[in-house]
Amino acid sequence: MKSLLIAVKDAKIHLKDRKAILMMILMPILLTLILGSALKGVMGGGSMPETILGVYSPESNLMTKSIMKSLGENGLTITIEHAESEKQLMDWMEERAVHVGLLFPDGWGSGVEGNRAVIIPISGQETGATVIRRMIETVAQMSQAIENSTATVMAEAATLAAEDDINLEEIQNELTASIEQIVNEQRAYVIEPPKEESVSSMQYYAAAMAAMFLLFNAMAGGKSFHQERRSETLSRLMMTPASVRSILTGKFIGSFLFAWIQFLIFLGATRLLLKVDWGPSILQILFITFFYIFSVAGLAMVVAAFTTNEKMADVIGSMGVQVLALLGGSMLPLSLFPEIMRKIAMATPNSWALTSFISIMEGAPWSTLWLPAAVLLGIGVTAIFISSLRLGRRIA
Amino acid sequence: MLTLLNVKKSFDSREVVKGVSLQVEKGESFGLLGPNGAGKSTLISMICGLVPFETGDIWIDGKLVSKNLKEIKQMIGVVPQDIALYPTMSALDNLVFWGRMYGLSGKDARSRAKEILEIVGLTERAKGRIETFSGGMKRRINIGAALMHRPKLLIMDEPTVGIDPQSRNHILETVKSLNEKGMTVIYTSHYMEEVEYLCKRIAIIDDGKLIASGTKKDLNNRLAGGTVLKLTVDSLHPLFIEQLKKLHGVEKVIVQPTYEIDIHLHSKMEIVAGVILLASQQGVHIQSMQLQEANLETLFLQLTGRSLRE
Repeated sequence: MKSLLIAVKDAKIHLKDRKAILMMILMPILLTLILGSALKGVMGGGSMPETILGVYSPESNLMTKSIMKSLGENGLTITIEHAESEKQLMDWMEERAVHVGLLFPDGWGSGVEGNRAVIIPISGQETGATVIRRMIETVAQMSQAIENSTATVMAEAATLAAEDDINLEEIQNELTASIEQIVNEQRAYVIEPPKEESVSSMQYYAAAMAAMFLLFNAMAGGKSFHQERRSETLSRLMMTPASVRSILTGKFIGSFLFAWIQFLIFLGATRLLLKVDWGPSILQILFITFFYIFSVAGLAMVVAAFTTNEKMADVIGSMGVQVLALLGGSMLPLSLFPEIMRKIAMATPNSWALTSFISIMEGAPWSTLWLPAAVLLGIGVTAIFISSLRLGRRIA
Repeated sequence: MLTLLNVKKSFDSREVVKGVSLQVEKGESFGLLGPNGAGKSTLISMICGLVPFETGDIWIDGKLVSKNLKEIKQMIGVVPQDIALYPTMSALDNLVFWGRMYGLSGKDARSRAKEILEIVGLTERAKGRIETFSGGMKRRINIGAALMHRPKLLIMDEPTVGIDPQSRNHILETVKSLNEKGMTVIYTSHYMEEVEYLCKRIAIIDDGKLIASGTKKDLNNRLAGGTVLKLTVDSLHPLFIEQLKKLHGVEKVIVQPTYEIDIHLHSKMEIVAGVILLASQQGVHIQSMQLQEANLETLFLQLTGRSLRE
């Protein structure tokens, strides 16, 4: 009961601290927005930006039809808008109504030298433009090959059919269709649509910032303990009938409670304001968060036990959080890390939390969460055990 | 109410409390007087069970502190020397929190907090944050927090340090009134006028030792005659000092490094003429001369050779 009183008091004090609110609640939301938006085009998986492609083609031929078909069918997030004229396409570009402009010149695809399609991205949409250019090149090469094959076969057929009354046009159409079908069936490349479960940059950074900023509670909890000591409120607490164990438990629950408030606000804000999809099971998210916050509150006790004053807790805590955040993938995606760094990351609690959040967002089953939960619980229990031995001796 | 018997405490190899024994009766207002670093706060920490002692025993209301700590803590209210409050919380919230830590229910704590705010004269500032309060107001809430659980024994460790005279008067009146209503009070300070005003019995502690204790009258009687002639001179000529000590009626001569000489007299004797004569013979110029009646300050000076506020 007394532990709970101390915990509620600590959480209230945190919530009244404007600096803490700014740092622990607003900052991660802001960073998620900035990093999630800035790295939207860089990250893989579902991060292929949704692109509006404006197209102007003065004539419709086999090649332009194939290209439009490919762009529309490959599961990429490309919306095609057809312009009536070159001017209209340019106007759309000017107004940024389309992200990428595709301009086919007269007679494009007829093999005329220097007759090339033009792809113009608006600023910031270079990634989408690159994807479109590669697709056009591939489809154009394929169409050119079909057309060349058909032309060769038809030349031979024309010689043979000179004496008979044969409908060459009908044969040509059938032949083209057959070659196209064979090429499509046997082509060596596949344009993979994005996997449905792959997370977007906004989702990744929401998870990463949650993992990182919850870690700051380790520092804040450690500092709070030293503040109590400096202001003599800890001595006053010791003069009450509350036991040392109750006081330490209260400090632990205080860190735990504030971290929950911080996370729930962050979760709500990222869902409602940033439209972050935290995956199909919010229960799984809360489950992993419980164990992660448990380990962080344990680390807060370690910071309190192994530092001697607020300044030291601040410096060591800040350094620790930044190193852990960097190693644990909160600043750069873990997928960019070499194998050895990924192994090192497994020693950090935030990495376990982050990878679990991502897995949940991708629709992972409950069975994949047992190991991270056990690891986080282990970190928390070890931290509490070590720190309570030292803190108990120090304050008794 | 409180008995200390030969209590000793050392930090590392330094003995800070050297066998203190004293007794405080129920309903009494007892003063503990001593300069900074005399061992008063350590003694209080030992009474509260915060600091373990090496030898001796402490009883509160007939119960041994070392064996009934939880019960003892519930019986005593401690006003620490520092403002031990949460600065970002309101006065009311602070009082409620401390009340609840002593086992009061939420409802009881709120109603008691309102009573306390009235006692300390801060009802109108109930919802103000402690950090916005003046030093005196903070001290009053600091006292209020110790009163929340209606303790039998109130221990106040220098409760008036660094505050304005108005707040000091308010605090002194509050403590006096609480004592008159039956609360046992132990008041420590290095302001002898506060202790003289509040306490019937006084103990003087210095360098971890109890050097005198008793009622104000007892202590004054211990002063040899109780009169001190204070001189301020331009030089501390050794021969002049030696001859002063030999003057008839002089019990003790204490030389301060600030060119001040305190001459303790056996009785109110006419030695002024003799002092002036000696000074002129030794070429010492007397800049000021003052005859002081006996008080605790002079007693402390007489016993230790040092001022209470050094």
